Amino acid sequence: MAVIETIGLSKIYNETIVPVKALNEVNLAFEQGEFTSIVGPSGSGKTTLLNMLGGLDKPSSGSILINQTDITKLKERQLIDYRLRHIGFVFQSYNLIPVLTAVENVSFIMLLQKQPRKAIDQRAREILEQVGLGDRLNARPAQLSGGQQQRVAVARALASRPDFVLADEPTANLDTQSAFNLLDIMEKLNRDENITLIFSTHDQRVIERARRVITLVDGAVASDENHGS
Amino acid sequence: MLIKIAWRNIWRNTSRSLTILIAIMIGLAAALMASAFSMGFVQQRFNNVIERFVSHIQIHNPDFVHDGEVTQYLTNPQEIMLKLQQNQTVKQAALRTKANGIIASAKVSSGVQITGIDPQAEQRLTDLKGWLIKGAYFEGVKRNPVYIGQELATKLKADVGSRLVLNFQNLDGEITAASFKVVGIFKTIDVAFDETTVFVQRTDINPLLGGEQLAHEIALLSDDFDQITKLKQQLQQQFPELEVRSWEKLSQELVLMQEMTSQSLIFLVFIILLGLGFGILNTMLMSVFERTRELGMLMAVGMNKKRVFLMIMFETVLLSFTGAAAGMLLGFGLISWLGRQGINLAGVAGDSLAIYGYGNMIYPYLETPFYLQTAFLVLLIALLSALYPAFKALQLVPAEAVRKE
Ligand SMILES: Nc1ncnc2c1ncn2[C@@H]1O[C@H](COP(=O)(O)OP(=O)(O)OP(=O)(O)O)[C@@H](O)[C@H]1O
Ligand SMILES: [Mg+2]
Repeated sequence: MAVIETIGLSKIYNETIVPVKALNEVNLAFEQGEFTSIVGPSGSGKTTLLNMLGGLDKPSSGSILINQTDITKLKERQLIDYRLRHIGFVFQSYNLIPVLTAVENVSFIMLLQKQPRKAIDQRAREILEQVGLGDRLNARPAQLSGGQQQRVAVARALASRPDFVLADEPTANLDTQSAFNLLDIMEKLNRDENITLIFSTHDQRVIERARRVITLVDGAVASDENHGS
Repeated sequence: MLIKIAWRNIWRNTSRSLTILIAIMIGLAAALMASAFSMGFVQQRFNNVIERFVSHIQIHNPDFVHDGEVTQYLTNPQEIMLKLQQNQTVKQAALRTKANGIIASAKVSSGVQITGIDPQAEQRLTDLKGWLIKGAYFEGVKRNPVYIGQELATKLKADVGSRLVLNFQNLDGEITAASFKVVGIFKTIDVAFDETTVFVQRTDINPLLGGEQLAHEIALLSDDFDQITKLKQQLQQQFPELEVRSWEKLSQELVLMQEMTSQSLIFLVFIILLGLGFGILNTMLMSVFERTRELGMLMAVGMNKKRVFLMIMFETVLLSFTGAAAGMLLGFGLISWLGRQGINLAGVAGDSLAIYGYGNMIYPYLETPFYLQTAFLVLLIALLSALYPAFKALQLVPAEAVRKE
């Protein structure tokens, strides 16, 4: 059974002034534990699609079923709570709270979820170790490299064991080595924790890392390939 | 957690936060200082009046309080004095005889209130002797000495040793005149008082009025300033047929003045804080705009509006309170120090203050409630100035905020 399913998903920006059709009748399904990349040229609708899946924006038409819940029908307030409990996010940049340490940043979501303190501490340490930052627990974001910051962001997104994690161009600001490194970590966590992971990129270097590659062109699915592994 | 983030957020832009902190600190300290100065001014007048003549508590025939007629005397003053002497809380008490009259030199005459006193008893009660500037305090003149103010002396062109005639009505309603000799000249800080009050001995004036034991007023000091109200109530119960008034009642005008001053000062503090509030608002607004992406990210990952709102509120309140605490400490320190040292205005104001009944030394002071009221106002202003930035933060659309490069 699919974790996520989109049915006739369309998004038109500026409907009244100069309409921009960013997504056009997208039908996709993602299974539990999948590791998928969304690729496509700039402006093809990657960010738009991820924002829809993550409940950050409402589609113009169509629906999004997450574990059979149509999140397009949720109210703003319910959506925020839904995101908090079910979805992990990694953005291209500005992922972290600058005034908090790595371990505090990772704990943040779990704190908002009101998980017990002890469990939070343990989990935050554990996952930071998994992303190779066991020795930088108390570093502030400014004291970390771009790659390390993104690893903290991935750790935070996965720490609360969400239903799935959305990462919009997580490697865009990273050098090749750090980008590969981050993808390795994402892949490993996806396997170890069996968390569904979807990331967008137009970076040829990292596309192949995903087992499934969906290509968007002008807001429509141009291809959907399984590389297997 | 939110408070921790809020506190750290304040220190992200250290120079900007410090600027507003220092502005709040100085603004508040200055406002408190100005208030304390004004209160000190009023308090000084207060002390003067009490010291000069009011004393802590006065006892009268109720009719005298109303009309001030010479016939409305106390019926058994000696008996009351005896009872007062047995009271532990009463430190000093003295009898006074009062009559309205006219004082005249060869050329000029002037309306005055004649107060008959027992110079020795009075000296222990008020600072009448301390105001002496020329001559002596009831010494050296055997018959009918009169102690007059400098202002009156100038008006009558009288000096120590001058003969003056007092005209007044006696108990039988007949106009009586008697010759008095100026024994001493005093100068209080209240020019009006110095012009309209003359002191004579009760032993001189009473026979002229027609009653050896005549007294209209008993003035007394409590040995504990804080016990005055209690003592007053106790005496009122003991002498139900008399009117017992404490200095608060006696100088109602001053109490009113003190209250009004306090109120207008807290308003001044409010105005200054209001100005600072706009500074706070601006600082917080800048801080919110700068953090568009970060706040968008927080909302995207599931921080709800209530928490975002609270975080901005916390930041504002913490920022304001840090500045306010520093300002209040600074103000408090300055006020305590100057309250002990006093501020001498003689150089600035010369004698002009005396015309209004003020002295030259000001001892700034503020009461605790004033600080509490100020703290409350700071909280109020902080919350008000936090509202707009916090509201602005809520209007962020996470999808757009995180998209910004
Ligand atoms: N808020 C918006 N208002 C109007 N048009 C928008 C908005 N956001 C995106 N678009 C348009 O929608 C289309 C899809 O944009 P989107 O950001 O999803 O593309 P993308 O594949 O993520 O591009 P990139 O690789 O550059 O990040 C583009 O034509 C873009 O200009
Ligand atoms: Mg994009």
